[in-house]
Amino acid sequence: MRKDPLIPGVYCHDLIQFNNRSGVLSMLEIVFFYIASLVALIATVMAMTRANAIHALIYLIVSLLAVAVIFFLIGAPFAAALEIVIYAGAIMVLFVFVIMMLNLGEKGDKQERQWLSPSVWVGPALLSIVLLAELLFIISDVNGPVSTSSVSPKAVGLSLFGPYVLAVEISAMLLLAGLVGSFHLGRRYLERDYGDERGKE
Amino acid sequence: MNASVFYAMTPILVLSGTAMALMIQASIKRDHKVASIIVAIGLILSLLGSYYASNFTQPVTVLLQVDNWSLFFTGLIIAASLIILSLSLKTFLPEGERKEEYYLLLILSVLGAVVLIQSSHMVSLLLGMELMGVALYVMIAFPERGDLPLEGAIKYLVLSACASAMLLYGFALIYAATGSLSYIGIGAEVARAYEQNPVLVLAGSAMVLAGIGFKLSVAPFHMWTPDVYEGAPTAVTGFLATVSKGAVFVALTRFYIDGNLYQYAGLTAALAVLAIASMLIGNWLALRQENIKRLLAYSSIAHFGYLLIALIACAHIDIQLVSQSITFYLTAYIVTTLAAFAVVSSVAEEDVRGQEIQALEGLFWYRPLEASALTVAMLSLAGIPLTAGFMAKFFVITVGVQSHLWVLLAALIVGSAVAIYYYLRVIFAMSKPCKVKGKASTGFDRTLAIILMACVLLLGSWPQPFIAYMGTL
Repeated sequence: MRKDPLIPGVYCHDLIQFNNRSGVLSMLEIVFFYIASLVALIATVMAMTRANAIHALIYLIVSLLAVAVIFFLIGAPFAAALEIVIYAGAIMVLFVFVIMMLNLGEKGDKQERQWLSPSVWVGPALLSIVLLAELLFIISDVNGPVSTSSVSPKAVGLSLFGPYVLAVEISAMLLLAGLVGSFHLGRRYLERDYGDERGKE
Repeated sequence: MNASVFYAMTPILVLSGTAMALMIQASIKRDHKVASIIVAIGLILSLLGSYYASNFTQPVTVLLQVDNWSLFFTGLIIAASLIILSLSLKTFLPEGERKEEYYLLLILSVLGAVVLIQSSHMVSLLLGMELMGVALYVMIAFPERGDLPLEGAIKYLVLSACASAMLLYGFALIYAATGSLSYIGIGAEVARAYEQNPVLVLAGSAMVLAGIGFKLSVAPFHMWTPDVYEGAPTAVTGFLATVSKGAVFVALTRFYIDGNLYQYAGLTAALAVLAIASMLIGNWLALRQENIKRLLAYSSIAHFGYLLIALIACAHIDIQLVSQSITFYLTAYIVTTLAAFAVVSSVAEEDVRGQEIQALEGLFWYRPLEASALTVAMLSLAGIPLTAGFMAKFFVITVGVQSHLWVLLAALIVGSAVAIYYYLRVIFAMSKPCKVKGKASTGFDRTLAIILMACVLLLGSWPQPFIAYMGTL
């Protein structure tokens, strides 16, 4: 096993290095970081302790939003956008839609009216307002905390398809494994259900 | 990037190409015979490829490090996967069920293991581990009958997810302290980072060790092992025990040595606690097992405890010697475990009753060859002279004595003494008079048993060529 790199310096070639570049965090940044972290913690604890799946999911979305604000704060606006678009946007909303769609009929309507009562949405809304206020404050200040160092989408793309191109390829294989696996595991229940229906007919 | 980089990646490229070929084949005509032939050809080609790639050893981007050591293990696990493929063909894939997915999952899992073995960067470590794991969850739950496979798969999935989260958090802490994600970069920066902030470095590395410990199932992270071993089809259990654990241990060795983490007494002490706990708990709990697969599960926990001794020793002695003893031990462990699982999968039925040790009674009288192979495997796992396991333990004890790790060696000796009892129980069960004749053996079973038994005996009684070969790695 080799102990020294064959090409000197090639191992340390990491394009995204926060801690060497940005230096000391400003006081304001630290305060904002702790507020956002507190929101994330509260939302996650609430998500874990809710008995109702919809309530838990809404808190989980707030938690993801808080993490996105933290990303924004430390100079990774692209990662923040991805966090919202992919996690809070696509995946979580899919969950919420599926659960709501499963509640069809009279009973479902009643259930949905119940979900719209203030006790359900006040908590997540308050937490989101804190995050929104924080975000507005950051972007209203031109020389604000995030302007010191930020990683642009271009930098992310360059490192993904430069030194980390193999990681992208392996991720593709990982997705293939997940796809084929869920197909195999899901199919047996699908076939069983169809079989039952045919039996009824 | 020039052509020699691609030559160095031959095994990975061939495995990925095989996965592609399987997808294309499935879209044309789904046929499990064709699929199995494609997989077998792909595995053989990548085995040859790992020999060919040894002319082009070099770092491949920042993510992979192709050198002779990793290529040796690449070849070893691909050969092991070939044997696993042949076992799964005849045992748990009955006619009439759709099962082409299994081959694709197997090849993807092997690809993950190869990435893991060659990784020199935390990103490739995590991606390799996840690729191997995601394919394995489904392989464990593959049989459509019975609840045990599904139960095992869910246990493995949930605990692996926890382990991956732990691993990621550890990576984040190490990155925060050192500013690097590659092993060599960490190794260069870790001393400075430790001076600045020892807690960050130690906490990060401890979390990484815990995450990897889950995958290796060292105590106290071993809870999932017996249930998953019992629930999974025997061939998949064999894959989990040899390919998956072997690849993870190679990656751990890389990370621990290249990252210069062996210098810190706190980490060494933590590893020592894991090793002692695994040796004692693994051997102790194996005593009362009635199921042969659960017995092998606990025995593997103990074996990874023994292996950790060699890793701990690199704080004190030459790293070359340590990596040689790890190479020998892992090779011996993989070959022996494969021999055991090959016999178990050809002898025992795929149900709970069929896998009890009692079901092996009289095996010597109606299937003498397989019984001898299982006997040799058990003796090798126990570490009896003339078998591979003895030489492997000899290496570990030498390394331990040279680094004065007396407490660990005492645990090894106590553990091995206890272990002899339950390994011999299996042998005694096989030599009892035959009451009910089990399945008859096929020519393929006998050939495989002879080959694996010969490997175990050769490694134990005439190890010089292999040791000389290890010197060149």
